Amino acid sequence: MRSKSPVRALLFFILPFGLLFAAFYLLPIGYAIKQSLYKVQRTGTFGPATEVFGGFEQYQRVFENGPFWSSVGRVLLFGVVQVPVMLGLALLLALLLDSGLVKGRGFFRLAFFVPYAVPGVVAAIMWGFLYSPNLSPFTSLTSSVDFLSADFVLWSMANVVTWVYVGYNMLIIYSALLAIPQEVYEAAKIDGAGPWRTAWSIKVPLVMPAIILTTVFSIIGTLQLLAEPQVFRTFSSAVSSTYTPNLTVYSTSSIPNFNLAAAFSVVLALATCALSFTFLKATQRGGDK
Amino acid sequence: MRFPMRSLGIVLTSALALTACSSTSDDSTESSGAASCAPSSGPVTLNFTSWIPGIETVVKAWNDKNPDIQVTVQTGPNGNGGTYQNFFNQLKAGNAPDLGQIEYDALPSFRVQDGLTNLADCTEVTAAKDQFVDWTWGQVTFGEENSVYGIPQDAGPMALFYRKDLFEKNGIAIPTTWDEYAAAAEKVKAAGGYITNFSQSDINQFAGLAWQAGGRWFANDGSQWTVNLQDEGTTKVANYWQGLLDKKLVSTVPPWTTEWDNAYNKGNAWTWVSAVWGANSISSGAPDTSGKWAVAPMPQWTAGGTSAGNWGGSSTAVFKGSKHPYEAAKFALWLNTDQEALTLLNKEANLYPATKSGATLPALSEGVEFYGGQKIYDVFATASTQVAADFVWGPTMTSTYATASDGFKAAVSGSGTLADALKTTQTATIDTLKSQSIPVAE
Repeated sequence: MRSKSPVRALLFFILPFGLLFAAFYLLPIGYAIKQSLYKVQRTGTFGPATEVFGGFEQYQRVFENGPFWSSVGRVLLFGVVQVPVMLGLALLLALLLDSGLVKGRGFFRLAFFVPYAVPGVVAAIMWGFLYSPNLSPFTSLTSSVDFLSADFVLWSMANVVTWVYVGYNMLIIYSALLAIPQEVYEAAKIDGAGPWRTAWSIKVPLVMPAIILTTVFSIIGTLQLLAEPQVFRTFSSAVSSTYTPNLTVYSTSSIPNFNLAAAFSVVLALATCALSFTFLKATQRGGDK
Repeated sequence: MRFPMRSLGIVLTSALALTACSSTSDDSTESSGAASCAPSSGPVTLNFTSWIPGIETVVKAWNDKNPDIQVTVQTGPNGNGGTYQNFFNQLKAGNAPDLGQIEYDALPSFRVQDGLTNLADCTEVTAAKDQFVDWTWGQVTFGEENSVYGIPQDAGPMALFYRKDLFEKNGIAIPTTWDEYAAAAEKVKAAGGYITNFSQSDINQFAGLAWQAGGRWFANDGSQWTVNLQDEGTTKVANYWQGLLDKKLVSTVPPWTTEWDNAYNKGNAWTWVSAVWGANSISSGAPDTSGKWAVAPMPQWTAGGTSAGNWGGSSTAVFKGSKHPYEAAKFALWLNTDQEALTLLNKEANLYPATKSGATLPALSEGVEFYGGQKIYDVFATASTQVAADFVWGPTMTSTYATASDGFKAAVSGSGTLADALKTTQTATIDTLKSQSIPVAE
């Protein structure tokens, strides 16, 4: 039989995390779920409003909302293209840094990471200026291609997101590369593997868990796109108030219709969970780990 | 995969627990009927949120004279830019400030959310009725007896700002009707400019244009709302601007951006039909054009007509939950009727007072250097008397503006027309009202 003290110590160490986790995670989620199950009732045009239980009425509105679902489709398309491009670049940069071909490794590691230190909103504003037809320093380019038009704006935003997060993802993959024991490389060398072979058959498979992790982060980030479209909305005609799911949540809560906004958020959270877990499951089945 | 399942379970149980322990949270304080307006005993401190540039200076003038009613001012982005959302959140959380700046078009939204204190029992407030321009008083009382939901602060009568130098140089007459304006647009285009920039995402300007043309978007008969974004006046305005857009006679730079400032600063756009406070927007956004602008009355739909639109204008409202409505009302009245306060507001932010006597402020009878020394406020004083008093705003303008702006942006990029956008907005607005159980005629 276990003595009491380890349990107490365990509780003691878990408590700080547990309290914060409950206060800033479970409670807000619980509150959002609760809000989403209520609806407002009133009498007359300016009559007092009362919140009553509405069951799944708000959810019905969510599922009947065309613009919301087309915005989900839009971010999925965004993710399918942007996430592989970004992670491919991140992997390439990490392999380059690790290969020993690059001099000034510390400098480049920092330089690639710097965009991540720029707040997302600031990055979006900065790129907005670069894209803007009349303000851009590259007017010869922006006058022939309208980066803010309906055809391009999604990919213009993808470029901003990629610019911000490549360095961050590179760093995660790079640290995974550093953790590979030297003996593995020695063994590969003895077997006659060149740098390409080592990269493809040794390094990439061994950093796969890191790549999967960054993919999951990226899927979550993509579904929750807010800052970039919010900023681009002010200077592009092509970005509507329901351009991404989170923008819909934001617009709905500023009506204010908190109950409907809560229902949108819950559906979005569940969709994000489902996608992330599906991806994890799929990769686990495929991998040898 | 065990951990996620378990945590999901925790989430669900805690959600159920929350739902169970907090039964219907109805704050059934009466929203009809005025709040009592008794003075508090002892000194009080009031919180006030506003986005007027330089408001701190004005509040300091009050604080220096009223040691027992101290006002703490907090500034934020303009209403639709984030402050309204903060207000709504604060009201929901029960910690709204005592006073806040609310534009006339947003007052119904705050009233429908039960966020405002009715000041009709404050005798000082009701006694001040005659000091205000009629239509502004109508906006804060909703045309009802025994209701005052804010103190009118400023008005936004509209007029035509134009580049005097460019019009003269090219021998183009200043348009007095919208037909002449469209004809002038062709000549301006031929001279290498655009007559104006069409505001695709700020619907308030369009509302002002529709207001002038006799459009009336909302009506409220006490039992239900009527939404009418496709009435004759509004449709006329929409088709007119669609015509200018189709002929590419107006530019379509998104408003309130650096690029937009740039268009005016570089002389690409020659006129702007805007409100009195727009004088400040031009002088700060297009500093290189100082002395080259002038102001004329708004173009009319019929030759010799005398009607003006209104764009913007705010009130100072007391939020529900304020413990000191008497003191709050007293401050709001001072802020918006006292000559010293009004002069300061005009000096800091070019606000045009909502009081009748405000038009005679010494600051408003002077020539303005940026406008070549023209006494521009005379034009707006006339316009102010030509604004129809019966324009009613709806209870979910944030959503109406968002949908209309989405549609206008699409029209500007070539998909659909402004009239299509109004049709979509009509349907979407009715849906928004219904989803909040606000009675509305189909």
